[in-house]
Amino acid sequence: MLIKLAWRNLWRNRRRTFITMAAVSLAAFLSITMMSLQNGVYENMINNTVGRFTGYVQVHQKGYFDDQTLDNSMLQNPEVEAAILDHPDIDLVIPRLESFALASSGDLSKGAGVVGIDPALEESFSEISRKVVEGDLFQKGEISALIGKDLGRQLQLGVGDTIVLIGQGYRGATAAGKYMISGLLDFNSPDLNSRIVYLPLLEAQEMYGAYDLITTYALQLGRSDQGNRVVQDLEPLLMDKGEYEALTWETMMPDMVQFIQADKGGNVLIMGILYLIVGFGIFGTVLMMTAERQYEFGIMVAIGMKKDKLSRTIVIETILISLLGVLMGMVLAFPLVLFFNINPIRVDSMAEAYAEFGFEPIFPAIIDPSIFISQAITVLIIAVIIAFYPALRLLWLKPVEAMRA
Amino acid sequence: MLIQIAWKNIWRNKLRSLVVILAVAIGLLSGAFLMSFSYGINQERSRNIIETKISHVQIHQPEFRLEQKANALIAEGGQATTDLLQRPEVKAVASRLLVNGMFSTTKGANGVQINGIDPEQEALVTKLPERVTHGTYFEGKKRNPILIGESLAEKIGLQRVDEAGNVSYNLRKRVVLTFQIPGGETQAAQFRIVGTFKSLNSKVDETQVYVKRSDLAALMGTGEKVHEIALILEDQEISEDSTFLQSVQATHPDLMVENWKDLAPDLKLVDESFAVSLTIFMSIIMLALLFGIVNTMFMAILERTRELGMLMSIGMNRIQVFLMIMLETIFLTLVGAPIGILTALGLISYFGNVGIDISAFAEGGAAMGVASTAYTYLEPNAYMVITVMVFITALIASIFPARRALKLNPAEAVRAI
Amino acid sequence: MNVIETRQLHKIYKGAVDVHAVNGVDLQIRQGEFTAIVGPSGSGKTTLLNIIGGLDQPTSGEVMVGGASIHTLKPNELIDFRLNNIGFVFQAYNLIPVLTAKENVEFIMLLQKRARSERDARVQELMEAVGLTDKLNNRPSQLSGGQQQRVAVARALASKPKFVLADEPTANLDSLSTSNLLDIMARLNEKENMTFVFSTHDQRVIDRARRVITLEDGQIVRDVRKEIEAVG
Repeated sequence: MLIKLAWRNLWRNRRRTFITMAAVSLAAFLSITMMSLQNGVYENMINNTVGRFTGYVQVHQKGYFDDQTLDNSMLQNPEVEAAILDHPDIDLVIPRLESFALASSGDLSKGAGVVGIDPALEESFSEISRKVVEGDLFQKGEISALIGKDLGRQLQLGVGDTIVLIGQGYRGATAAGKYMISGLLDFNSPDLNSRIVYLPLLEAQEMYGAYDLITTYALQLGRSDQGNRVVQDLEPLLMDKGEYEALTWETMMPDMVQFIQADKGGNVLIMGILYLIVGFGIFGTVLMMTAERQYEFGIMVAIGMKKDKLSRTIVIETILISLLGVLMGMVLAFPLVLFFNINPIRVDSMAEAYAEFGFEPIFPAIIDPSIFISQAITVLIIAVIIAFYPALRLLWLKPVEAMRA
Repeated sequence: MLIQIAWKNIWRNKLRSLVVILAVAIGLLSGAFLMSFSYGINQERSRNIIETKISHVQIHQPEFRLEQKANALIAEGGQATTDLLQRPEVKAVASRLLVNGMFSTTKGANGVQINGIDPEQEALVTKLPERVTHGTYFEGKKRNPILIGESLAEKIGLQRVDEAGNVSYNLRKRVVLTFQIPGGETQAAQFRIVGTFKSLNSKVDETQVYVKRSDLAALMGTGEKVHEIALILEDQEISEDSTFLQSVQATHPDLMVENWKDLAPDLKLVDESFAVSLTIFMSIIMLALLFGIVNTMFMAILERTRELGMLMSIGMNRIQVFLMIMLETIFLTLVGAPIGILTALGLISYFGNVGIDISAFAEGGAAMGVASTAYTYLEPNAYMVITVMVFITALIASIFPARRALKLNPAEAVRAI
Repeated sequence: MNVIETRQLHKIYKGAVDVHAVNGVDLQIRQGEFTAIVGPSGSGKTTLLNIIGGLDQPTSGEVMVGGASIHTLKPNELIDFRLNNIGFVFQAYNLIPVLTAKENVEFIMLLQKRARSERDARVQELMEAVGLTDKLNNRPSQLSGGQQQRVAVARALASKPKFVLADEPTANLDSLSTSNLLDIMARLNEKENMTFVFSTHDQRVIDRARRVITLEDGQIVRDVRKEIEAVG
């Protein structure tokens, strides 16, 4: 009955209800669109750098993460691999040898991250064949390398050219090698594009004098949000196999996590201000809705309606008007988000600025129900806070005075 | 007369009007403050990057700037430096030799950019000595001294933390730099760490090392030649003015003379897109406010249907009614504006001096060169923009209720008793 | 038995000049009476009715309903007391604008948490009694003033109260509507022995009342019982 009353009261002044709803829907629409785009950027970045490069979880020799040198590498061990693969959430175990080298060609040189990979495993993990934008994967019978496309540009190297790598090998030995570039890679990450060199694992081990050694097991998880659980499970599992450490990407890249949080925080502030203003608008409307109905409220209390029920009607009205606004915002935002999900916005003019922060200049909106739900919850909370004042006032309503007004 | 009536009408329902006034004031205040906060952070970041890294103007050989060719050297490095210093606009000049290389210790290797600098010049141009945290800044006459970032020192295991939690660095360690010399050969040489530095950007600190230019020149066989000349001018604005750049360009026709905006397009972008962001953000706030204002005024008219009908039947013409409602709406909007803008002005200048501690969020920002304290600031221009926008909003908001009031039929309005 | 009894009721409105709205009223109303409280405006009719209905507090004195004082009730108990014991009809705009005629009558039974079948039957019965079965689904704005007051009477009776308080129920009605309304109330009074108390200065109501209490300056100056029923 209260809901019926509230609902009908909402439509006593259609124009007012509609304007109030429109204000709420504006805030919800902007919030949803912004958050979908922003989270899309992060998801894209995390997916490209974590999901398709580092892996959500890595296993190393204990101490490698703090001191990333070849001296902290480990023997590739099928037993360990089998033990890890036993975990139900882990789909793949990818061995890698990662180190640094000075990459050069002619007069040009640049620091590069050399990653020795098992091409077949890496293919099923990160689909490197799809990252090749020019040339081809490793050539059989040829000592070849795949390099990031920006690194190629900086060193003025193309497919078929030779890249020279000089580094420091296992136990301080000098490491050097010449490789034919078989392909250029696009990782969809400005950072990786400008520094990564892929070598076949055996070639990398050969160059660094790190025979049978690897630095990293990158793990592919069935579900990316299971990282923490997997890490917890792995520690005891690997205990008797030797000294290992298992780390989530959040532990390995605290900067990225914090940057995302700080950036999200900024948007929360912007949205907070918008909702604050919209809140004032709702408050004004609810104030009017109660003020003009004093006589009616007086009658209702006189004939026997308890005041807390009256209060509840106003709370329901406030919530209804707000939630209808959010719903309207959602309905407006959804097609736009869907559109940007299918056709990401490209901002090439800002590419350099974004590269500085490690982003691609692409805004692919994500469709995440939790973004929509979070708006509804936010607005629900605002509505309850706003309804507090008129609802409280109604508890003090004196029917005689109300009817005299 | 109309103005007086309109003004008095606003105060007939005080609470309702106050809600609108407060909404306008808080909307403007929070909008302006948030913008000043973000502007402050960006300004600080820009200032920091300009003052400690890129300077106002840099000069390179085009081939070096565009392709990092090691042999694209400025031939008369010393002479050019002296000449540039003669110019009245120039405050300080630093010339550098730059080469990418490998920094290796017994524990491993890292990629770094080796900066061959003149310590005295660098002190004036990028204030490098101020950022030295441990050890010394190229003092004494040791052979091949090198200054490395604290984060790099940490990475290669030089950090020692004693039981009391004090951090010290095991300096005097020897490291090997491997790099290419012009011509393509690889050269390796031993350097001795004399100190560490720390800038706001820990990521960059890992990739930059400083050695004396004379040491590096001897190893590279480049003599007086340099890769880069950086200038600090008397005023940053001189660098944004093309006459100075053109005049330098004229004396060095073969070189690329660029100001900070060319060197760091991201800073330029942030700088130049700020006005746009401000306008967009404030427009959204105004739009949200507009809904509330229009709604309130519609209600005010609805309540006063009878009164307006009476006014019209006693001889107030349509234009006067229209104007009265417009004025009411405009007043209602504008009462809150000075409160909001002046409070914003006060808060922004207060926090512009005192600063806001954002260290809780700064760790992620540190990698991006964001300081741990934000100093709020808005250009005087921005206040103008906001004020104009409020007026426009007031005007737009006033049209709807005024038009609505006109649609009231006096006879009907009077009957609606 | 007295349905309503007041003892030395006083109501003083404090102000620059204190107003003695009700000044020592002793009143007994018996079951089944059809009473009009009359007097010029400002004589304290409405205040007296509000105090009897528990809507207003007396400055001193006591109101007893069915032999029990209503002043010992807590605020929420008082509201429930009104709901279950008193039917109210006000001057005008009695009804909840967003509810239909039927829903307005049903509303009070919903507050009493009556079962649906009982509600439906009672609505039907009452709407028949007030002659508005064809207007069940009309909103108040679609009803005439007289029709609205008839719905208000139906609502007042819906809760099966001990008595009905009607504050100037005919103030805004034309003569036809007024006599219609009075007919209905008189009939309910007779048929169901329902007690009605009006405040009014409408001669048409006074003519139909069987007891007329005259109030002047907050005091009862006349209390007349007509033994013979007025002609309808």
